[in-house]
Amino acid sequence: MADQPLSRWKLALVLLLGLAIGAGSAVHSMKRGGLRGAGSTGWHGNAVTGSVDADPWTRARVALTGLLALNKSQAIYFTTQTDDSGARLSERCRYRVSGGALPARWWSVTVYADDDYLPQNEDDALSFDATEVKPDARAQWSALVASKPEPGLPWASSNKAGDYTLTLRLYNPTKAAQEDFGTIPLPKVTKLNCGGAA
Amino acid sequence: MNRSVKYALAFAVAVAAGHVGTIIAAPRAIMHVALNKMSDGGKRLNQFSFGPRTTSHSRTVVRPSPDLAYSNCVYDLSQGPIRVSAAPSPDNGYVSLSVFDARTDNVGVFDSLQFPQGISFVLAKAGQKTPPGVSVVISPSTRGVILDRRLAPSAELFAKVDQARRADSCAPL
Repeated sequence: MADQPLSRWKLALVLLLGLAIGAGSAVHSMKRGGLRGAGSTGWHGNAVTGSVDADPWTRARVALTGLLALNKSQAIYFTTQTDDSGARLSERCRYRVSGGALPARWWSVTVYADDDYLPQNEDDALSFDATEVKPDARAQWSALVASKPEPGLPWASSNKAGDYTLTLRLYNPTKAAQEDFGTIPLPKVTKLNCGGAA
Repeated sequence: MNRSVKYALAFAVAVAAGHVGTIIAAPRAIMHVALNKMSDGGKRLNQFSFGPRTTSHSRTVVRPSPDLAYSNCVYDLSQGPIRVSAAPSPDNGYVSLSVFDARTDNVGVFDSLQFPQGISFVLAKAGQKTPPGVSVVISPSTRGVILDRRLAPSAELFAKVDQARRADSCAPL
């Protein structure tokens, strides 16, 4: 009985430590839990984003990293933090983003820094959208994400973005796209080079 | 059961409680902070605020779209329902009005495809009396936010859209 106070103190410490670790794991899950790619690309989206049907983990993740996201009847969001080889997107590298017709009334691709805000640069090129790309006869288009633009290519600046993510927004998506995200032909993100190497 | 096992069990229960508790509490806590920011600490309720063009310095809400013009109305239904309306953008440009409750759920959404002549609805809590013949959105919470998004990917378009959205209204019935 003499060691009872010591046991309570230890128990309180154990409980506090456990709560702190549990809360930390929740924050990590909110920040990174949704960033698991599907298939051969790193893009991920969630059909219940913004919906009353969202599970608690999805709701918490969206609250932290995409507060006030619309539900899929209005907009579908995909995010990637990697290129098609699986490497983390970095402002030190240049990437070609390319694809075909997307099943929506309008779409855009935006660069976000690791803090989930827009990168702190003054390039006035935070995104490119459906009205800027020039599809060829097969509806294929391409754009550049890099720290500097290139003539003739739609450009989103990665200046001061660090290790960043790209978000694809599809507004007024087609019914088929809403019902099955797997039918959406997501753009490719191809690394061209890094650190100024040819 | 020896003392070490009891400590291990207590630790596991605490980890689970900390994890689940944070996951459940986070959306309301994050929304509470955002609503306070948007309403200037609760001083600006049931009226639209028209945000400037999104730039790299925009930090009110995470992941803003630089291609959209945002306006918001932080609502408070404690005194009764409110009527919300949004004027169309020039050249039938994209407009959406979306309602978010205190838990961050998107409980109502209207857009210019459905309503090219403008959007209008009444927002109420369950059990509040609403006028007949109008679209009604029921919010599960007393407070939340209505977001007006308009397509405005250039400075020129933003200027046009900004003029149009000034006719938006969000006020008690």
